[in-house]
Amino acid sequence: MAPSTTVSQRKKIKRKAPRGFLKRVFKRQKPHLRLETSGDLLVHLNCLLFVQRLAEETRMSAFENKCGVIKKEHVQAAAKVILKKSRG
Amino acid sequence: MAEAMADSYSQDSEPTTRTLLRRVLDTADTRTPQRRRSAGIGAQKSLLETPSSRRLSSSTKTNARRRSQRARSIGRLAHVQTSGHLEEQTPRTLLKNILLTAPESSIMMPESVVKPVPTPQVVQSSRQESIRGSLELQLPELEPPTTLALGLLAPGRRKRRLRLSVFQQGIDQGLPLSQEPCGNASASSLTSSLNLTFATPLQPQSVHRPGLARRPPTRRAVDVGAFLQDLQDTSLALASPGNSLRTPVATLPTDTVLEDTQPFSQPLVGHSPSVYHSLPCLSYTEAKDAEKAVSHRTQRSGPKLQNHSPGKPAQLLAGKSKKVDALAMSFPNTSSAIAGEDEVEPLQGGVGENAEERMEESLSVSEVKDTTGTQGSVRTDKSDRNETSEAVEAKEPEGSSGDENISGRTASPELASSTTEFLQARQLQFLESAPPPSTAILSSEPLEPLPTRLPPRVRTLGPRPRQDPHKTGLNHYVKLFSFYAKMPMEKKALEMVEKCLDKYFQHLCDDLEVFAAHAGRKTVRPEDLELLMRRQGLVNDQVSLHVLVERHLPLEYRQLLIPCAFSGNSVFPAQ
Repeated sequence: MAPSTTVSQRKKIKRKAPRGFLKRVFKRQKPHLRLETSGDLLVHLNCLLFVQRLAEETRMSAFENKCGVIKKEHVQAAAKVILKKSRG
Repeated sequence: MAEAMADSYSQDSEPTTRTLLRRVLDTADTRTPQRRRSAGIGAQKSLLETPSSRRLSSSTKTNARRRSQRARSIGRLAHVQTSGHLEEQTPRTLLKNILLTAPESSIMMPESVVKPVPTPQVVQSSRQESIRGSLELQLPELEPPTTLALGLLAPGRRKRRLRLSVFQQGIDQGLPLSQEPCGNASASSLTSSLNLTFATPLQPQSVHRPGLARRPPTRRAVDVGAFLQDLQDTSLALASPGNSLRTPVATLPTDTVLEDTQPFSQPLVGHSPSVYHSLPCLSYTEAKDAEKAVSHRTQRSGPKLQNHSPGKPAQLLAGKSKKVDALAMSFPNTSSAIAGEDEVEPLQGGVGENAEERMEESLSVSEVKDTTGTQGSVRTDKSDRNETSEAVEAKEPEGSSGDENISGRTASPELASSTTEFLQARQLQFLESAPPPSTAILSSEPLEPLPTRLPPRVRTLGPRPRQDPHKTGLNHYVKLFSFYAKMPMEKKALEMVEKCLDKYFQHLCDDLEVFAAHAGRKTVRPEDLELLMRRQGLVNDQVSLHVLVERHLPLEYRQLLIPCAFSGNSVFPAQ
C-alpha cells in the first residue's frame, strides 16, 4: 500500500471527508453551480493531495533553513510554489 | 487527614463507640429488612474493623459523595426520608448514639448539637446508597464533630437548607418527643435518638431565639461600628463601652451561649475587670464583625453568629480549649453558614491570643473590616492567608467603606498568623470548608464572570454561522497539514496554512466552474475533477485517478467513487 495509508495513527487523524463543509464552500463560491454527490469526495481527495504537497514543501523549506520548527516564512514560501503548481 | 482523624479518634472514646456501634449493628441487622441496609451494615462492620485506612478513604469518598449526592433531587430524599424513616437510619442512629455518647466523655460538648445537623444530611445522602451511608456514618465517628459538620454542611449549603426545611418540619414535630432522651444514647431507641439529633440543635434556636432568623444584618453592622467607636473612646477609661448596646441586650448568663440574642453579650462587659473586659470586648467585636461579614452573605448566619458571639467571649475567657465547644454550639445555629463558623473558630483563637495586640488596633472603626479580613483570611487560609485575605477583602466590599480596609488588612495578617495554629489543628475543617468558601466566593462573585462572558456571545452571534463552521472545516485540513509535516509548528504558521487553504479553495472553484462551462454544463461532475487533477499533475498516464482514490481515500469513499461490479450483473456506482 501507499505510504500515506500506512502512516502511524498516533495522532488519530480523521479520515472522514467534511462533505458538508466542502459543499458549503463550493456553494458560497459558485452559487449558480451544482456539485455532484461524489464530486465532493474528489474535491476532498484533491485537498488531501494539496495539503500533502504543501506540507512536504514546507518541511523542505524548514530543513533548508535548518529550523526544527516550521515557521510562517517556510509556509509562505512553500505555498507560493504549490499554489502555482495546483492552479490548473 | 489521617493525623487529624487519628487525633480525633484518640479523643473519642474508641472502645465505647465501637462497642456501641457493634451492638447497634447487631441489632440493626435484625432490623434491616432492606437489602441495602444489610449491605450497609455489613460494610459498616467491615469498616469498623479496619478503621483508620478505610475511614480515610471513606471520609474522602463520602465528602465527594455527599457533594454529588446533595446535587441530586431533594424531593427524592425527602420522600425517602418520610417513607423509610426508621429503617434507613438505623446505621445512622447507631452512629448518632455513639456520637451522643462520645461527647459526654470528650470535651467536645457541642458535638451532640452539631451532629444532629450533619446527621440529617447524612441520612439524606445515605439513602441513596447504603454503603455510602455507612461510610458517612462512620465519618462523624472518625472526625471531630465540628469538622464533620463543616464537611457535611460545607458542600451542599444551600441544598441543606432545603432539605433541612423538611427535616425541621419533622423535627419540630418530634421536638416535644425528643426532649427527654437528650442524654440517652441507647441503641434501642433509635427513633428517639434520631429525633434527638434533629431536635437538639433546633431547640435552642426555636425556643430561645425565635426572632433571630429575621433580624436584618445591617442593623448589627451599625451597632458594631458604634460599639467599636465607643470602645475606642472608653477603652482606657474602661467605661461601659456598649452603653447603646446594653439597652438592647439583656443581661444574659455567660454559660448560655445559645441563648444570646444580641451580638454583644452584656455579662462579659459588666462583670470583668478592665483588662479582662477589654479582651472579651475585642473578641466580641471581632466575632461580631465576623458574624456581620457572614451575615452579609447569608442572613441566616448573621443571627446565628451573633448568638455565638456572646458564647465566644465566654469561651475565650474560660480557655482556648473550648473553641470546639463554641464551634459545636454554633453549628446547630448555623445550618447554612458554615463559613461563619470557620471564621468563628479562628477568630476565637486569634482573639484570645492577640486580644491584647488587637486592643489597640481593633478598637478602631476598622474592626468591621478586620473581621471581614479575618473572615477572608480564615476562609482562604488554605492557600495564602495574607494574599487571600486581601483578595477576600477586596471581594467583600459589601457595606464596608474602603477606609476600613487598610486597617483590616493590617489586622488580617496578624489574625492569619494567629490562626495558623488553629488552622493546623483544624485542617480537616478548613479542607471541608474549602468548598463553602469557594461557593461563597462564587456566590459573592457570580456577576463577575457572567458579564465578561455575555459580550462575547453577543458579538459572535452574527458572524458565527459563517465563520465557525468554515473554521472548523478548515481546521480539519490544518490538522492534516500538521500531521503530514511531522514537525512542530508555530501558531502563525498554522494561520498561514489556513489562508493558503482559502486561496486554494477559491482557485479550485474557479477552475471547476471553467471546466463545467467548457463542457456546457452547470453541474460539476467527477470528470471535471479528474481534468483538474490531470492539469495539476497529480494524474498522469502512469497514475490514474482510481489509483489515487485507492491510495488516499478510505474504503467507503472508494466504493462510492470507483465503479465496481457486483453480483446480479450490477455495477455500483452506476456509470
